[in-house]
Amino acid sequence: MKTVMADRRWIKEHPDLGTGPVPTDTCTSPELFELERERIFRRTWLNLGREEDLPEPGSYVVRELAVANASVLLVRGKDRKVRAFHNICVHRGNRLVDGEKGVCKGRFVCRFHSWAYDTSGQLTWVSDEANFYDLDKGVLGLKPIAADIWEGFIFINLDPNPSETLAEYMAGMVQQIHGYPFAQQRLLCRYRVEERANWKVILDAQNEVYHLPFLHITYPDFCPMNEHKFSRIQKFTRFGRHTVYSVELNTDHKMKPVESIAINANPRGGQVHPSMIGWFDFYTVFPNFCMLFLAGTYVTYNIWPLAVDRSIWEVSMYHPATEKPSERFAQEYSRCLLRDLLQEDASNHEAIQASLMSGALSHFQLQDEEIQIRHFHKEVRRHIFGEENGAAAIGNNRDAAELRLK
Amino acid sequence: MNTLLPNGFSDLEQFAEWALPTSTDRNRKRRASSMDAINAFYNAMRPRLEEILAYLDQFSLQEMPQDAQRLLFLSLSLAEVTIAVELFHEPRVTGGCDPERFVVAREITP
Repeated sequence: MKTVMADRRWIKEHPDLGTGPVPTDTCTSPELFELERERIFRRTWLNLGREEDLPEPGSYVVRELAVANASVLLVRGKDRKVRAFHNICVHRGNRLVDGEKGVCKGRFVCRFHSWAYDTSGQLTWVSDEANFYDLDKGVLGLKPIAADIWEGFIFINLDPNPSETLAEYMAGMVQQIHGYPFAQQRLLCRYRVEERANWKVILDAQNEVYHLPFLHITYPDFCPMNEHKFSRIQKFTRFGRHTVYSVELNTDHKMKPVESIAINANPRGGQVHPSMIGWFDFYTVFPNFCMLFLAGTYVTYNIWPLAVDRSIWEVSMYHPATEKPSERFAQEYSRCLLRDLLQEDASNHEAIQASLMSGALSHFQLQDEEIQIRHFHKEVRRHIFGEENGAAAIGNNRDAAELRLK
Repeated sequence: MNTLLPNGFSDLEQFAEWALPTSTDRNRKRRASSMDAINAFYNAMRPRLEEILAYLDQFSLQEMPQDAQRLLFLSLSLAEVTIAVELFHEPRVTGGCDPERFVVAREITP
């Protein structure tokens, strides 16, 4: 076994993350939520799905990003390039495309005055054009949003001048995950769950395995555990803003009868790709995107803030594409199991949020196996308060209210 | 409703009401059923499961006779109720949120 069971391991590798309690204020303060909106969600690369969501030239998806007050149109052009635009007609600001997705066969036409755009965003038709003054269709066009693709994942950046390319932003993760066979995987299902919880409460609850034997008591032996039956991760790695924690296969896991048949029916689902660190790798791609590699399958979370105490949790489960019924059965078992365990989590997220809103708890207490959360909150604070103040707010355990006044 | 299953599986026709095509319907059926009904279905299906999967694997998911597809839907319902039987020992997720809040935005069928 590769997992080291000793206590207090990770702080030795990451002393800069400190050991003090972490403030809860970013989960409850509307004022700090406004800072997150401006300094995180309008300035970082955000995942909006995968290339397969736009299968053919003209395929489009509209995403409403409440956190940025933005409606984003993703479209694949005739040249097959994926572009992102503000979903706004440049004439007088009407929403250009209604509906969540589709295929644009010709042009996007605004229903207000019939202005039309091609799939590369060019303004191609203005009704009654001769009656305008100095109107140059060639320079108008849809307002572009920076967009790029990494391993088939589509990212946008609402900053008009992003300070980093997507490749720079992803840092060393690019090398770690390179070669993973994303193209062989297919979306089995996507759930959308609206929760009365801050986006970080949802993310934090997934970003550790300490809770597994307790909250998920009916499935308690997912992870290797120490002699006291407390879970231990195999490895914790940081890539700039992002992290991955890895868990080794627990060979002591006791299988139930149908579970065992499902696992045996799905050999591909059990295969660990060489790009993986453990048997289960949980990546947190800052700010709100998680990738969970679970042996031969993977799951993504996109956690979209609606308000300081409301979010949408999108869960997408990917499995090897198959036409084989026994494999499909095994995938359905895996889906039902994860969905039900996540329903335990969802109930918990809302209980936490309700408690935090009382204002009675100013700080979270974190142990060594929750170092992922420590890193994440440090990054959140670094983005909203700036380099020096962000670190101080965690490391010296100072009240963020004091920092806000500076 | 046609409840016919392939030759050799007719004893399972009494559970035809579990042959539901969507995950949402299978989950609702589980939650609307008593644990006795769920156990009866699980206990009838479990010993036959490997035989069922071997039979279904003669076909591709997209090109199945209707009776085989009904058997596939029964097996997918077994995947659904297995969580109730093997984990929670009750139809619902103990302590979980309202399952209707997990809205299916996209899914593969079957």
